[in-house]
Amino acid sequence: MSERVLSEGCTTCGDVAIPMRVADIDRQTGLALCLDADGAGTSVETALVEPVLVGEVLLVHAGTALSRAPEEARAR
Amino acid sequence: MKFVDEFRDAELGRALAGEILSVVDPDRHYKIMEVCGGHTHAIYKYGVDDLLPENVELVHGPGCPVCVIPMGRVDDGISLAREPGVIFTCFGDMVRVPGSSETLLDAKAQGADVRIVYSPLDALRIAKQNPDREVVFFAIGFETTAPSTALTLRRAKAEDVGNFSVICSHVTIVPPLRALLESPDVRLDGFIGPGHVATIVGARPFQFLPEQYGKPVAISGFEPLDLLQSVLMVLRQLADGRAEVENQYARVVPWEGNLRALEIMSEVFELRAHFEWRGLGFISQSALRLSDDYAEWDAELRFSVPGVRVADPKACQCGEVLKGVIKPWECKVFGTACTPERPIGTCMVSPEGACAAYYNYGRFAREREVV
Repeated sequence: MSERVLSEGCTTCGDVAIPMRVADIDRQTGLALCLDADGAGTSVETALVEPVLVGEVLLVHAGTALSRAPEEARAR
Repeated sequence: MKFVDEFRDAELGRALAGEILSVVDPDRHYKIMEVCGGHTHAIYKYGVDDLLPENVELVHGPGCPVCVIPMGRVDDGISLAREPGVIFTCFGDMVRVPGSSETLLDAKAQGADVRIVYSPLDALRIAKQNPDREVVFFAIGFETTAPSTALTLRRAKAEDVGNFSVICSHVTIVPPLRALLESPDVRLDGFIGPGHVATIVGARPFQFLPEQYGKPVAISGFEPLDLLQSVLMVLRQLADGRAEVENQYARVVPWEGNLRALEIMSEVFELRAHFEWRGLGFISQSALRLSDDYAEWDAELRFSVPGVRVADPKACQCGEVLKGVIKPWECKVFGTACTPERPIGTCMVSPEGACAAYYNYGRFAREREVV
């Protein structure tokens, strides 16, 4: 098991959400390329928080954005 | 990082610890359950419990989805992984959970095509890349994770991906809490509510705790100051003789939850009549299965699964740990026969499991106390 998983808890199946910044949006698939704090990218399902904008920070759990990070939600 | 650093401020932490000390009755012993495994992990990672008075005890609840999966269900997954032509996908922790005779990792070592994914979407992608293979996803998790599976199944349906299916083992948080409170060997004074489950379901579903059982609740975030403030909120309610749901994590948790997620979940899932929980037994309407509209993607209907109930190993006391009846270190095999490298029980597998959290962060402090 990686150090990252150990240090952040179980990021895939537990009650954990990781802040990720939207880098690009594929309107056709409805997925967004999001980057974590280390710059690692992954495709994220954004159906629960649409519409999203490039640069917004989302709380991502198991590949799905559950909500916006607090400062984003407040800005809206 | 904004909204992280300010919730790890040591000075504020000490101030909160002082406030906690000022509201507790020194003649009373308090037992507060943190429901969520993410909270358990954070409590031991940051040493939150070290800042609490001795008579405030944090009890670890059944909120680690890996920990509550019974052995028979793991066997069902291994059986599917061994089906010819199947690519079996699951989250990382599941591969190390012991079934009755082996783990998914053992099955992989013997030739089964078991692949770790970080999201159900990854599993769907594998299915699209391998149209001549059957791809099964082992879906576990509480309401935090269930929307991700639901959205993936909706995509599978829209894109007509016929070689993808799901063995649905999603569980819901309210029924086990009710079961715990009905259990005669459990005494709890209040609850730290699960922040990200509540992001989906809202704070409202936890109202039964104060209304029906008179227990205070604070829905909590995951940083150390979040947890300290939540403990303080519960203790203040107890001191005032109040019992209500307070939302400490209001910067993320809406009172009504994420309505879009709830709508998608109700389309894709239905409640199971019964589901077995490790250590808690069968609990009515405590888990999800795929609805009739998504039956085509239900691995339990597509394949034959054993569905056999398997008793936990006698040495394992995960059930008592999950109910908060014993502390992890009080288990007979904790840290000796059962370690994160070679777990006997599920609580030692996931970093969110109470035993693994103690093992990773607390066992040396405990040894110091003993000496």
